[in-house]
Amino acid sequence: MRKNKKSQLKIQGTINHRFLDLGFSKKGQLKIQAHKNSKKFLVPESSKAQLKIQAMTNQRFLKLGFSNKKSQLKIQEMAFMIVAVVLFFALVGLFVLSIVFVNIQDEATRIAEEKTLAAATSLADTPELSCIAAKVNCIDADKLISLVNLNNSQYDKFWPFSSLSVIQLSGFEKEEEDLVECTFANYPDCDIFNVYDKKVDNERAIASFVALCRKDFQNDRTYDKCEVAKIVAGTEFKRIEE
Amino acid sequence: MIKKNKKAIAMSFNWIFAIIAGGFILFLAIYFAGQFIDTAEQESYTETAASLSVLLDPLETGLASGKANLINFNKESKIFFDCTEKLNPPFGKQYISFSDKTLSEEYREEGGKVPILNKYIFAEDVVEGKNIYAFSKPIYMPFKIADMSIVISATKKYCFYDAPEDIQEDLENLNLKSIIFMNSTSECEGIKVCFDTTGGCDIIVNELRKEVYNKKNKERVYYSGDLVYAAIFSSPDIYECNIKRLKSKFNELSKIYLEKIKIMERQGCLPTIGGKLSLLIDRDIRDSRDLDIFIRDVEEIDAVNRLSNSGCMLYYNENWGR
Repeated sequence: MRKNKKSQLKIQGTINHRFLDLGFSKKGQLKIQAHKNSKKFLVPESSKAQLKIQAMTNQRFLKLGFSNKKSQLKIQEMAFMIVAVVLFFALVGLFVLSIVFVNIQDEATRIAEEKTLAAATSLADTPELSCIAAKVNCIDADKLISLVNLNNSQYDKFWPFSSLSVIQLSGFEKEEEDLVECTFANYPDCDIFNVYDKKVDNERAIASFVALCRKDFQNDRTYDKCEVAKIVAGTEFKRIEE
Repeated sequence: MIKKNKKAIAMSFNWIFAIIAGGFILFLAIYFAGQFIDTAEQESYTETAASLSVLLDPLETGLASGKANLINFNKESKIFFDCTEKLNPPFGKQYISFSDKTLSEEYREEGGKVPILNKYIFAEDVVEGKNIYAFSKPIYMPFKIADMSIVISATKKYCFYDAPEDIQEDLENLNLKSIIFMNSTSECEGIKVCFDTTGGCDIIVNELRKEVYNKKNKERVYYSGDLVYAAIFSSPDIYECNIKRLKSKFNELSKIYLEKIKIMERQGCLPTIGGKLSLLIDRDIRDSRDLDIFIRDVEEIDAVNRLSNSGCMLYYNENWGR
């Protein structure tokens, strides 16, 4: 009986150290000891079996602690690897997308320019500007000044240009700032008809030559006075970085 | 004594983790590759739709009485049309989008809708085929308002029964091979368009009431002059929407002509149509039924304009009512 008690104490001692290693509090250890003592260690017949069980329990605690740390390390490695792989693919994806989007932007610009060119060449034949007499590629200056003079013209919502103006022959040799803008008051002694200007930052202008005709009155007769003029239509280029 | 084999396949945690993580990465890669292909297709379709809108530009008639174009695609394709008079006031806008057949002979999802602001396209909601015809005619009310572009499939046959001579001549001049002119006794496979007759026809044109009845949609639309082509070849929704858009265009053009009258007065001309033109700007067109009365008033304005001497005419419309 005495021998048994001695061995119990030794085992308990080892248990205590191991528990301490595993990080249990001392108060907790005491409670576990007391519990074990009251139930199992006081019974002399089963003490051998108890020793085995205790020893096994201890081994398990040890093993679990060791493999846990190793697995955690591997999970961490794997997680870092996955993050690295995902980041790599994300960067590759971004690179590919940037190339694709640059192509889309170029294509959009090309189509916008084509649209402006096609619309600008047929602009002189539109009902808003075409000459009343049957003339091809001819702008009626009287209609043009009427369009410029309209207070709330909505044509910037109709034509695919960012700006539209017509320069008379008198303005061909002049600098942009020297051009006299046409109004109802100074028409026809002016240089440029500004139909509208959306004032965009990135704009490319396309010009096309047309005949500009107006009714004139001389020697008791009205006649069509025609001169060469230049339609200037702008296209807006939208940049992604903006 | 039978000894049971209790061996199991031991799979380490690393393997399980690698399989799950690898599977997830593979799934993501396949998913994003699929998405990328879809986006590239959508981009290509949107580009095609935008190019189509540019292809319709040469159809502006100018002084001509009509123009036609044949547009070819590499594969069987679908062009989708939509129209709204409420957006982009006062002109409204139309949308065009595109799709084509895959290797499995199924149509893919349509590409992005490309807005068209300065055209009046009359067509079915969906035009299908490898080739399409696009033709244009000018619209006068009484001065030229715009060019209407009509888009039809080249593979879909239209059989015109007992069509009036001017319509037959007009369409034959445009060399549209999918429109066939028949007399009442002959047989033709395709959409039957009848003029003032009803027997077994898909589309019935009543010239007296200026009405086009579509049996399939069970809807009636009303026309005036060359708008008869738009009424025949277009879906009722697109037709009605474009009629309202054309009235808005008439309003804006009339404002320009009213200003022009002031300029002409400086040169000794005294056009007297300003008052009537102002009244017509305020006239509302709810749908194509109001077109007939509107055109009658337009004809009155035209009569006054024709009475002016040639130097003081507000506009010329030699092709109108031809």
